[in-house]
Amino acid sequence: MLEQINVNPSSGEPIYRQLSEQIVRLIVGGQLEAEQVLPSVRQMAEHLSVNPMTVSRAVQQLVEQGWLERRRGQATRVANRETSDSTSSVQLLKPQVTELLAQAKQLGISQDELKKLIDACWL
Amino acid sequence: MDMPLAPLLEFCDVTKQFVDKTAISKLSIQLYPGMVVGLLGQNGAGKSTLMRCALGIIEPSSGEITTLGEPVHQLSSEAKTQIGYVPQQPFGYEGFTVSRALALHSSFYPNWDSELEADWLLRFDLDEDQQVQRMSVGQRQSLALMMAMAYKPKLLILDEPVASLDPIARRKFMSDLFDLAIESGSAVLFSSHITSDLERVASHLALMRKGELVLFKEMDSVREEVKLLTLAEGDSIADEVRVLNKQGNKVLVDNYSAARCPNMQAESLNLEQLFVALHRSETPQ
Repeated sequence: MLEQINVNPSSGEPIYRQLSEQIVRLIVGGQLEAEQVLPSVRQMAEHLSVNPMTVSRAVQQLVEQGWLERRRGQATRVANRETSDSTSSVQLLKPQVTELLAQAKQLGISQDELKKLIDACWL
Repeated sequence: MDMPLAPLLEFCDVTKQFVDKTAISKLSIQLYPGMVVGLLGQNGAGKSTLMRCALGIIEPSSGEITTLGEPVHQLSSEAKTQIGYVPQQPFGYEGFTVSRALALHSSFYPNWDSELEADWLLRFDLDEDQQVQRMSVGQRQSLALMMAMAYKPKLLILDEPVASLDPIARRKFMSDLFDLAIESGSAVLFSSHITSDLERVASHLALMRKGELVLFKEMDSVREEVKLLTLAEGDSIADEVRVLNKQGNKVLVDNYSAARCPNMQAESLNLEQLFVALHRSETPQ
């Protein structure tokens, strides 16, 4: 799982958020399955070479949001979520798409042009 | 972070005046266990003075400094053995071999971590029989860092510690720093001009400009709340938002939130960009 995560400390985006968003994407995308054990905070911090407190904050947030669960004295696991869960992969991308649309509008790019651009970048 | 009990280092309204210049001005800061504070500022901004005041090497002109719970000008010898310091230019032990220097140094400290010592000797490929003065700058720096970290100080102060270390050595050093901060509940204050290292390693950022502490907050909060705004005609800045610097219609602010600055163009900055934006001066008309 560690190989699928990377953070960019110089992006200006909070590291804890970069981390939590990627872990959520891995869960929703099915790369991380329910009950799967996560590496420890220490291991993640060492692998990413970031402050462990930052990793801890991301994990804590995901536990509070129900994506992960932590039982006393045990490793952190991916939570079992209801299949009727309203969060779909598509929903997760909505903020980025909204942002993309705003930028496209500022640039005067039409809907058709944007669709073509997405098609062209798809590969 | 759990609520800490008492700060390991506390500056209360501290000013240090040299004959021709105010090196630090009305500076207040508190360091708690577990904090790794990255100190950033231009040359001459007062970073080294702040560090030397924290150690009691120089006395402030006014204000109070408490180090490990004691007034800094009358530290007990017990407190002194719990402080680690690596200055910009280490360091004594010329004329000693590495192993003799380590034997002498470790004898002062009951909590000496021989495992860390052995680990660093191996990882940094330090030859125990080599004379200290014949080592490269980077090797000396790793030896000085190891000497400061292996006795598990409660307060560790590092002035430009990583400048001469290669990237692998820097990573190793950072991970040992985390161990110290989190497992031993120590606080670390370190200055560096390598902003990318600071972005990784620091839990908190302390930013100095001309002797003043202009920003002190969690690194991730800096990413969220410090933005470069581009003001449009008629835009005004809410009272809760703190202006750090201004150049034309570009305003660097702290305490930003989208709610406080509705419809304004706000740019996220990495540390290097933030540093540059903070020091940009109004262009003369």
